[in-house]
Amino acid sequence: MIASGYLIGVIAAMGIITFALRALPFVAAQWLQKHPLVHKLGQFLPLAIMTLLLVHSATGAAREHASGPWPELLAVALVVLLQWRRRNALLSIVAGTCVYVLLRNLNLF
Amino acid sequence: MLALSAPVAMGYIPLGMVFGFLFVQAGASWWLAPLSSLIVYAGAAQYMMIPMIAAGLSAGTIALATLIVNLRHVFYGLSLLDALPRRKLLRWYIIFALTDETYSVLTTIAPATSDKQMTLIAALNHTWWVLGTLIGALIGARAHVALAGLDFVLAALFAVLTVEQWRTKKNAAPLWVALAAYALAYALAAPHALVIAIVLSLAAGTLWQAKPAAAGEARR
Repeated sequence: MIASGYLIGVIAAMGIITFALRALPFVAAQWLQKHPLVHKLGQFLPLAIMTLLLVHSATGAAREHASGPWPELLAVALVVLLQWRRRNALLSIVAGTCVYVLLRNLNLF
Repeated sequence: MLALSAPVAMGYIPLGMVFGFLFVQAGASWWLAPLSSLIVYAGAAQYMMIPMIAAGLSAGTIALATLIVNLRHVFYGLSLLDALPRRKLLRWYIIFALTDETYSVLTTIAPATSDKQMTLIAALNHTWWVLGTLIGALIGARAHVALAGLDFVLAALFAVLTVEQWRTKKNAAPLWVALAAYALAYALAAPHALVIAIVLSLAAGTLWQAKPAAAGEARR
């Protein structure tokens, strides 16, 4: 069991950070809009950070088993392809995860 | 309004269920799952927290990771500044509940929608997420499944968000920069690859010169 007191602390911290990030443009709009750097980073950062998080979580999953990164590469390719073509987030996530779970549990690699 | 919220429900209920299930399977009390969906209400960050709480990482470390995962939200609000309700309570509730999906629904319908309708959509989406989590947590508290790889759902969610960011930007430079930055950071110091790669991408983003298509955006 994970201690509930610890988890409540984690949940509170995550809630405050998330709310602060969502509220920032509404309280500091003038400041944010005045700086061209903010615009530039707004164009650049979200895609860069999402890519990093994707690579990081896939790399982390690949390190949990000894058979090379093939299940991760295949499943991520499937999710990207499905999402690009069909734009259905649930379909992409469920199909990708099912294929990944199958690949990992059938020990095909 | 239900018609606008229904597609979100189709995603939020099952994905909330997976979160609630994995959260309880990691060893947390079932009632904390819906609580975190109620208070944090950020899918990617919540999925990310599961392995982190299982490893017993400090609240500060998890807060920092939340900051990184949710940084994109800073750039969402700017396009909704004038669209959201003026009334304080409704306005702040929608800001609190501004997830990727609620954001994309609101940006599509904002000009012709009343304050009440916008709030209702935000609240319905929030409800689906909490409800899904509750169902998943209750199942997770009763069943024990030992399937390797279920946590891939987080990577799949990040892949979906990457594709959607890519689609709106119409410029893949940040994606290639991020891949190169991660490869470099991984070679340098694998345990700190993410943080190093974020710093490298931030530096690259600062030096980046937007192409003519994006320059029009900056002139506004």
